Amino acid sequence: MKRLCTLLVLLLLASALPSLAQEMIDYPSDLTACEVDLSGETLRIFHFGDLSGPYAFITQPVVSALTDAVNYWNDRGGVCGAQLEQVYEDTGGSREAAQSAYDRFTGNYGDELDLLLLYSSDDGELLREQLAADEIVSFISAGSIESLYGEDGQTPGWLYASNPLYINQFGSFCQFVAASPEAFPDPVIGFVTWPNAFGRAGTEPAAREHCASVGVNVLEEPQFFLPTDTDILTQVQNAIDGGANIIYTNTIASGPPLIAGTLVDLGMEDDVKLAGVNWVMDTSVGILGQRVLKSNGLPSVDGMFGSMPFLWWTETSSPAVQFITQQHSLNERSLAEQNIAYLLSWGLADSVIETYIQTANRVGSLGAVTGAEIRTTVESMDYQVLGGLLRFHFAKGMRDATENRIAVLKFANATMTGPASGPADALFVDGPSGKMFLPIVVSLTDFMPVPQLRG
Amino acid sequence: MTEFFHKNKQQLIWSLYALGAIVLVLLIGDQLAGKKAARIVQTLISGVLVGGVYGLVALGIVVINKASGVFNFAHGWMMVVGGMVFWSFFSVSEISLVGAGLLATATMLMMMSTVSWRDLRTPRNIRITVAGIVILTLLMTIGGAEWRWLHALTGTFAGAILTGLAVERFTIRPLIGQPLFTAVLMTLAVAEVLHGVTQIVWGTVELNLPVFVDPQTNSRFRPIRLDAFKEALDGIAIVRVELVIAFVLAILAFIGFLLFFRYTSVGLAMRATSEDQQLAQSVGLRVRVILAITWAVAAFLASIAGVLQGGAVGLSLNISFVALRVFPAVLLGGLESISGALVGGIIIGIVEQFGTLINSSEQMGTNLAPYVVLMVVLVIRPDGLFGEKRIERI
Repeated sequence: MKRLCTLLVLLLLASALPSLAQEMIDYPSDLTACEVDLSGETLRIFHFGDLSGPYAFITQPVVSALTDAVNYWNDRGGVCGAQLEQVYEDTGGSREAAQSAYDRFTGNYGDELDLLLLYSSDDGELLREQLAADEIVSFISAGSIESLYGEDGQTPGWLYASNPLYINQFGSFCQFVAASPEAFPDPVIGFVTWPNAFGRAGTEPAAREHCASVGVNVLEEPQFFLPTDTDILTQVQNAIDGGANIIYTNTIASGPPLIAGTLVDLGMEDDVKLAGVNWVMDTSVGILGQRVLKSNGLPSVDGMFGSMPFLWWTETSSPAVQFITQQHSLNERSLAEQNIAYLLSWGLADSVIETYIQTANRVGSLGAVTGAEIRTTVESMDYQVLGGLLRFHFAKGMRDATENRIAVLKFANATMTGPASGPADALFVDGPSGKMFLPIVVSLTDFMPVPQLRG
Repeated sequence: MTEFFHKNKQQLIWSLYALGAIVLVLLIGDQLAGKKAARIVQTLISGVLVGGVYGLVALGIVVINKASGVFNFAHGWMMVVGGMVFWSFFSVSEISLVGAGLLATATMLMMMSTVSWRDLRTPRNIRITVAGIVILTLLMTIGGAEWRWLHALTGTFAGAILTGLAVERFTIRPLIGQPLFTAVLMTLAVAEVLHGVTQIVWGTVELNLPVFVDPQTNSRFRPIRLDAFKEALDGIAIVRVELVIAFVLAILAFIGFLLFFRYTSVGLAMRATSEDQQLAQSVGLRVRVILAITWAVAAFLASIAGVLQGGAVGLSLNISFVALRVFPAVLLGGLESISGALVGGIIIGIVEQFGTLINSSEQMGTNLAPYVVLMVVLVIRPDGLFGEKRIERI
């Protein structure tokens, strides 16, 4: 708790911190100096994914952040003189549309397409072999084992993820639970999650074995529900009947609030803890989790644990967070866009820029940059993205991040000095649906290596 | 042997069904035997209540089908639009007078020009139109945030009527007399248009619709706990009030529509129109008006379902997929049957919940059980449980 309060610094929200907008904050990255002049050239950031389908609420802020980043750089003369441009397509979450977008990109841009940003594991799996054959490097925030390491889990490809694999995140949560016996006596974890590739990550036997080895039991049978489900009492009760006193979920937006609300309805909010992958810490969860309040009057998702392998909006002492917060405010982005996707997309833009600068410096010009050269750069980099938002480091055949933190979702108190203990001392701000509690994420651990569980 | 089979074909088939049913009951019974009574009761309650929501969604699809023979694939997106309109009025403390006025004007103009745009020229209709615009605008803007329920309900009503009438006027009406399949395909196009419009107007971010909670007063419909039956059930069962509200609304809507179709001239005209639009027109029925009313009513039902679903789990584009989950309920109850929609919805709700109780890890409840039940019922009753038997000359 002491650490929690120490680390808790505040926010974020433009409405709450108007003074931040007064003074322009410097770009926080320690970018490599340009050794080549790219004036007159255009550096394109290519990306495509689901912007109108089931995951659109996550991915739309990607476009917002990249738009803001492109404008930011172009207003300042570009990167080494080159103007930035965003090239993207909406695939609606369809594999066929993703394939045709890829074909169009490679057809229209040919050799210029050396680096591609992707959003989803499914697209990563679909394009894994094609990216390798076409020698195109891809950055993704989080990928599946198959997309990053192939079916055998041992063949690193051309995709690089800025987050740890979900199974590794789950493994690190088990370690956290094992190290906190007062908070988690006799821990038994049950999965209540979505049934897609993302939702199932962590339900593999290797994860159960790892958790068992540190003294945490995981129920063999996961409970699945759909994003369209209205009532999941049956799934939650199945997990509790199976002995679970911790429910773990790989869901986002309405997923965690639905589970948390069900626990409140069952009167189990104090008996069963809720935890999940890094996406459960998203702002959407903090907002949607306010439909159901706990007996102490705070939103149902208050106290939910999750992974936090990068800095969060609440860590305002970080120049990276200060900078992104100011850009969010200056560009009049909404509260709902103050989320993981907006944060990480600024990080991805910075990673792309640094990668191109280093590669162009080495090969002498933008035209000489190839996918293979970019790959060489990526595998030799150890880069603090935006000066510390996350670490970009893929050594020894790694294709995902190797460090993680465990954090907890709370709601700010009125003086913004810590988490609220109830509605009486809570801070209420104007949200998209009226007055709302202000969600904050508080890190409980330092960055620590994740276990490697991909088999 | 062949002769024996032909003579006793029906009996043999029914025997096979009975055998299958017995095996199924034994299998399920075995699975349920180890469960506490509280779990079984809870599953039944959840199934019935969720089924009520399905029934409400199914009702909107059935109403369109009953009146026009069109299977409306755009219903899910009508739910999204209705929910979003409600959110727009519910979440804003001061409603724009201009915005509300525009919505009211568009709605009244569409209503008053249902038969023909020329109708707008008559002094009487002009007076009605202006009065309607003033009343709707007032109801949408009067007072402050404390009137937001009135604003939201009026705005949703106007938005739903406008959506339904616009869909009918610009996409379905031009197809009167054309093969029904063309109109069905048109609803797919309408779905995509509504998808795009929703995304442009409201974006894709999932929205909280706190109709069941007020954070500052902590007032919320708390679930009813069946503590009195704790010992008998060997555990606690709960009833979620928001689902009860949805269920009650569904029941009221069903009763209303049953009476409407049976006892009103418009309802009877709708039934006649569904049989043959050209014939109905030739005997003097105003097919255009009837179809317009039907689409407006369906859009309103979709809006109610969208608000309830949005209040329960949040408003997002994913709500549109609820309509896809309801299709088995519609087919099970019978495409033209009002009561079938409710019964089908409840059966599918119960089957889903018990499937999940027995085996959630293989998604038996959502991916398998409803479709198995649907298959069995359609084999026995091809028109659904309450559907009209159609004999067509081929």
